[in-house]
Amino acid sequence: MRTRTKAGIVILAAVLSLLAGAGIGSVFVSPADICRVLANRLFGSPLPENFSSVTPGLVLNIRLPRVTLSFAAGAAAAMGGVVMQSVLKNPLASPYGLGVSSGAGLGAALVIVSGLGAGALGTLALPAVSLAFGLATVGAAIFLSSRLDRSLSNNTIILTGMVLSLFTNALMSTVSAANPEYSQRILLWQLGSFSGRGWEASAMVAAVAAVCLVGFLRLSPELDAMTFGEEQARALGVELRRVKWVLIVLVAALTGTSVAFAGVIGFVDLIAPHVVRRFIGARHRLVLPMAALLGGAFMTVCDLAARTLASPSEIPVGSITALIGAPFFLYVYFSHRRR
Amino acid sequence: MLHVEHLTCGYGPKPLQNPVVKDVSFSVSPGERLCILGPNGCGKTTLLRAVCGLLPFEGKAEACGLDVRTAKRRELAQKMALMSQSGQVYFSYTVYETVLMGRYAHSRRAVFAQDDARGAAVAEECLRRTGLWEARDRPITELSGGQLQRVFLARTFAQEPQIILLDEPTNHLDLKYQLALADDLRAWAADGSRCVVGVLHDVNLALDFADTLLLMKEGRVVSRCLADGFSTRMLDEIYDVDVAAYMRRVLARWQG
Repeated sequence: MRTRTKAGIVILAAVLSLLAGAGIGSVFVSPADICRVLANRLFGSPLPENFSSVTPGLVLNIRLPRVTLSFAAGAAAAMGGVVMQSVLKNPLASPYGLGVSSGAGLGAALVIVSGLGAGALGTLALPAVSLAFGLATVGAAIFLSSRLDRSLSNNTIILTGMVLSLFTNALMSTVSAANPEYSQRILLWQLGSFSGRGWEASAMVAAVAAVCLVGFLRLSPELDAMTFGEEQARALGVELRRVKWVLIVLVAALTGTSVAFAGVIGFVDLIAPHVVRRFIGARHRLVLPMAALLGGAFMTVCDLAARTLASPSEIPVGSITALIGAPFFLYVYFSHRRR
Repeated sequence: MLHVEHLTCGYGPKPLQNPVVKDVSFSVSPGERLCILGPNGCGKTTLLRAVCGLLPFEGKAEACGLDVRTAKRRELAQKMALMSQSGQVYFSYTVYETVLMGRYAHSRRAVFAQDDARGAAVAEECLRRTGLWEARDRPITELSGGQLQRVFLARTFAQEPQIILLDEPTNHLDLKYQLALADDLRAWAADGSRCVVGVLHDVNLALDFADTLLLMKEGRVVSRCLADGFSTRMLDEIYDVDVAAYMRRVLARWQG
């Protein structure tokens, strides 16, 4: 199959997942009706006479922001995975390995426990504080790494990130255990959710993801060279330290934003890069946008499952990605190795 | 075209207190093929990495008029390429894509730019020269060690350097690939304007390939001599073995 065909399939899957996510739910909205609502909102074209009066509000204020957020969060996780795997030259590396997620988790737990999380202030305080904590943790990891090892080698980054992750995780568990009345909320936050987030959150995550995609694409030749090892990349002409810094800062901002608004949702960052590299190739110029689309589509479908399978209650979307993701990943990884 | 003066370097937080390479000076002229010989741990690979600018060092190193210490990596890579052991490859780039990466230092930067025509032409020429054109669409993860090393050779050529540094590129290669690699590099340097500086683990291959030898022991240069006027006594000295006796034994078996 040619690369163009494969790319076409991924794009089609992404569009279908968006339509399904926006259409399926307690009330079914057909793709045509979604387009009508969008055309009405964007270009002012009139809706048909017998059009349900609930549909525009449902589509514009509930379904579309949620679908946008899940898609953007999936794309963010997938891109972060691609970049971290290439930067650290480790197929199991993940953006969460830098400590972003556990740092953000600690921040969120503190906000929830302190009671700031309730009310109108909470919708703003929770993401803001968790983003700040997430970035602070990455900052601490990188600062420590560069103090311990001036060349900022991969193993130092992986180890420091891991140690800091475990440390902040332990702090969060302590906070949670000391406040049992909030531990349920903290647990739910950790599992991640896209429900009731609104356009502000969606737009924020989508915008950061778009900016990061452009930044990553601009650095895609460097990423290609870095997969062959740091010395080879430098010998090919890459200013390695600078590029590595920029990439890590972008990944931290991307993951931090996504985690702050949607929580920690694992597996997408691991699966999407592997699937894309396996079926489409290795060049980052193609891998990055394809992984973003595939990660977004996968996350959107998982969120659809999360809110419809046990309706009216919701399954945490992180459980769905792990339930589908774990066996799928094993399949992809081991069928790859057998080859 | 490559000048090294009083180069001292080492590893760790205080590399100058216990240097691996001590006050080494040498220069290489166009058309020359220089091999660095010495026992394990004598600092030959460290010296090569410093010359390539991959390790901080004291002293001076100049490649094609560029100060290795202060030049931008991109400028340096246009003049000087490094070929090392192939190692492990993690992602399935095709042979063609891998060779095209050699063009990095020459390429213009643009997010959605197509590969430039000159880059593609150079990559094709390098693939044909190394006999890889037919295999250009194969993923490198499926290649044998010898084939992979040929891909890296093509990538090194695609970089269009004036100087090629070799860091034990023939390790783990069959004799056939070792000789082919040496032949290709010899042909590449034959036009008289380019040079090769290498660390080859195999002494026989080094003696066959090089026209100049730089003998090192314990971080210092013991001697610099022409490969033609070379005596085994020098090898005895740096490797601490009786090379002549060894050669006699091998030859006796071979003829008998």
